[in-house]
Amino acid sequence: MKKSLYTSSALALLAGVLLTSCDPDIDTPASSAGEADFTKYIAVGNSLTAGQGDGGVYREGQLNSYPAIMAEQFRTVGGGEFTQPLFTEEQRNGTGYLRLAGFTAQGAPITANVTDNLAIRSASPRLYTKYLEPINNLAVPDIKVADIKTAGYGSTQGNPHFERITPDNNASQTYLQRVQQSTDHTFFSLWLGNNDVLSYATSGGAFSGGMLNSPARTITPTATFDANYSELLTALTAGGQEGIIATIPDVTAIPFFTTVGPSVQQLLTANNIPGMVALTGSGSSRIQIATSQINAAQNGVYFLLTSSAYAPLVGQPTGRYWRELARQVSPSQDANVVRLTLAGLLANFQIDTTAMFGLSAGNPVPSALILDAAEQQNVRTATEAFNNIIKAQADARNLALFDANAYFNTVKTGFGKNGVAYSPAFITGNLFSLDGVHPTPRGYAFVANEMIRAINSKYGANVPTVDETQYRTVLFPVQ
Amino acid sequence: MKSKILALLGSALLTGTAMAGGYQVNLASQRQIGMGHTGTGLLTGTSSIFFNPGAMSHIGYSGVTIGGSALVSRIAYSAPESGGVTARTDNPLGTPFQVYGVYNINEKFSAGLGVYTPFGSTVNWGDEWSGRYGLNQLKLQAIYVQPTISYAITDKLGIGVGLSYVIGSVNLQRSLPVQSQDGTEGGIELDGSAESAFGFNAGIFFQPTEKLSIGVNYRSKVNLSVEGGDVMFSNIPAAARGNFPDGTTFNAELPMPSTLSVGIGFKPNERLTLAADVSHVGWDAYEKLRFDFSQNVGGSPFSEASRNYENAFIYRIGGEYMATDALALRAGAYLDKTPVQDGYLTPETPDSDSRGLSAGIGYSVSENFSIDASFLYINRKERTDAANLSGGIPGTFKAVAYIPGIGLNFKF
Repeated sequence: MKKSLYTSSALALLAGVLLTSCDPDIDTPASSAGEADFTKYIAVGNSLTAGQGDGGVYREGQLNSYPAIMAEQFRTVGGGEFTQPLFTEEQRNGTGYLRLAGFTAQGAPITANVTDNLAIRSASPRLYTKYLEPINNLAVPDIKVADIKTAGYGSTQGNPHFERITPDNNASQTYLQRVQQSTDHTFFSLWLGNNDVLSYATSGGAFSGGMLNSPARTITPTATFDANYSELLTALTAGGQEGIIATIPDVTAIPFFTTVGPSVQQLLTANNIPGMVALTGSGSSRIQIATSQINAAQNGVYFLLTSSAYAPLVGQPTGRYWRELARQVSPSQDANVVRLTLAGLLANFQIDTTAMFGLSAGNPVPSALILDAAEQQNVRTATEAFNNIIKAQADARNLALFDANAYFNTVKTGFGKNGVAYSPAFITGNLFSLDGVHPTPRGYAFVANEMIRAINSKYGANVPTVDETQYRTVLFPVQ
Repeated sequence: MKSKILALLGSALLTGTAMAGGYQVNLASQRQIGMGHTGTGLLTGTSSIFFNPGAMSHIGYSGVTIGGSALVSRIAYSAPESGGVTARTDNPLGTPFQVYGVYNINEKFSAGLGVYTPFGSTVNWGDEWSGRYGLNQLKLQAIYVQPTISYAITDKLGIGVGLSYVIGSVNLQRSLPVQSQDGTEGGIELDGSAESAFGFNAGIFFQPTEKLSIGVNYRSKVNLSVEGGDVMFSNIPAAARGNFPDGTTFNAELPMPSTLSVGIGFKPNERLTLAADVSHVGWDAYEKLRFDFSQNVGGSPFSEASRNYENAFIYRIGGEYMATDALALRAGAYLDKTPVQDGYLTPETPDSDSRGLSAGIGYSVSENFSIDASFLYINRKERTDAANLSGGIPGTFKAVAYIPGIGLNFKF
């Protein structure tokens, strides 16, 4: 009895061992670093590199930044620790961000600001909790190539994201100097230049000159871009390091520009309205927009995501946009000062708020809410010039190149992978977060994989890609 | 345009719902499994009800057989171009079974009843792998109940036919690409029982000499259809619930393909039996998988994915050697060609040409009682497919199965 018990349990054990050891295996090529050395990887870039999404920088987004994803994969081929200026768990919501709160009865998304657990240490000027430990991810949201040699950019009067990682006793340090400090990195990524066109585009070209001129929202001169970009790369490759650089996507590939137009077009078509009147550029010149021009491939006009609040007011006598703008640009919030500012704005742009909004020369669509054909041409010309510089630098310095412009152009028409549909569509396209500009963690995983492919191909490496489905898309309220 | 957002939530459901691939399960007799599942041209005993009803009138006794197998299958997956993205199934134990009873009415006639499971599939990938929007889990089962009659025209020639009464069920689960702020991911489960269906199984058996026997067998196609199956959704966020309405039901159809087999048996001496079979399976009946919903699901009243299987052959050889009067030793092998064309691979049964190796023993305890034990090892060729035509999951799949089984035979 005892013996047979022993025998049968031994047999069961044997069977178990046999079965588990006989699991099928698929031979895959071994991971390797090829000619690249990932021992110390640093990332240089803007909000995309910081992992910004949903209109903010917060811990979850940082943890899913494309450099963090790549660094994790580099570890399988000799990569080391990758430190990011993470917001703490207690201040995990960082700058604050947008979450989806629900949908209107008509099905329009309602977003809400996340306002708890923030890392804001000063409201005015806006400043964040400092992070002064050594970091591998040097990304600074909002930074342009044009800004990298600006002294004081890391001061309390500069860029709060750069201020956050800049020591107080070195507030005049430029971003270029900060990058130059890193000498012992073995590999780098550089994805910079987006804001040199994007900030102009996302403000509809309305602040590039004129009464409301704002250098931050102006397209960078090509010569400045060329010189600064080259200097930055010289710093990054000073020790003969290898790396990857990336081009600037076409702005029309992102939902920020393509989402609102169709609803405006629908509204106009339903009411047999042939077109609209809008301000163009930063002055008071008016243009006519034919209804058919909205989102058109040729000579088209894009309505920015920021216009969604004003789109329902089309046809009404309203000065809402100008009142809100006046509060923003007014030197003081004193009611009288704001009123004076508003009067100045209305006079400068020749606005009659009693006229039909968007449909009359007296109350045209503000320039900041649309990107018209002429403004798109400015963006296109600059993007092309900057991308030519980036590609030439990749060639000249023999670096890997992620052609983000080409990649996001292929994404425009949508694609399917593993049973999920992806496209630049707002919310449903799964790739872009609630700000319509920055990717979702899933979108960043696609970017990381594309970069890994470019690195593998350039350096004869075999860094494994990640399973994109392990990274989230837009999250919906349970109720 | 904005209202389209709601309509599109989780719409990936339509990019390819899927069900089983080569879902035939050839495990109809423990003795025959040991012999590479040959048997069309042999007197296989009571299991001739399955292998060739024409031979049933020649077995010369009444008897009952009860048997079953324990099917352990493992499938590995590796995503295209990456060694980093892999998955394995955690399939529950499959338990195909068979019961046969034959009553020898007289020298010419015999009647029998068989209950067996020639089709089925259970595969469980879980809800975390990269292909989870294609499939989490599938359970497909068909049970055949087959009353059969056989007539010996001469002592060398027999014919037989059985009526197959078929019942079945299906349960399919997959993830939906819609996530809630609490971190959960949506899911859909289709669960239904098939309407009972009928088919037939007919055969001719011819034994020209003591040493040689041949047989031809045809099992007809049976269409299994589910009507009013339940569609259940889980973890759907409020905004998307309109797309995945509770109380939805589905209709679907799945063919159990026809199989035409020709077999030969050869006895070079008293102790040795050799057999070879060729089967032609009419898989081209499986063109598409379509679910019709009682209400729109993901914005559409149906979901359809191409399968376009092609007819396939199975080649089998096997042998039995009587080591003593009581002890039989068996061995066999087969090659089962895949019906799945390139571009149509699915994770349900990631099918490819499969090779089977089997061994078995039989022991007669007494004149009236014997035991058969078998072991079958199935090795499916590693297959890489873009799955671009089936809405499946692209990548490389490799499957193996270990199938021990035991059967008891009673003679009266």
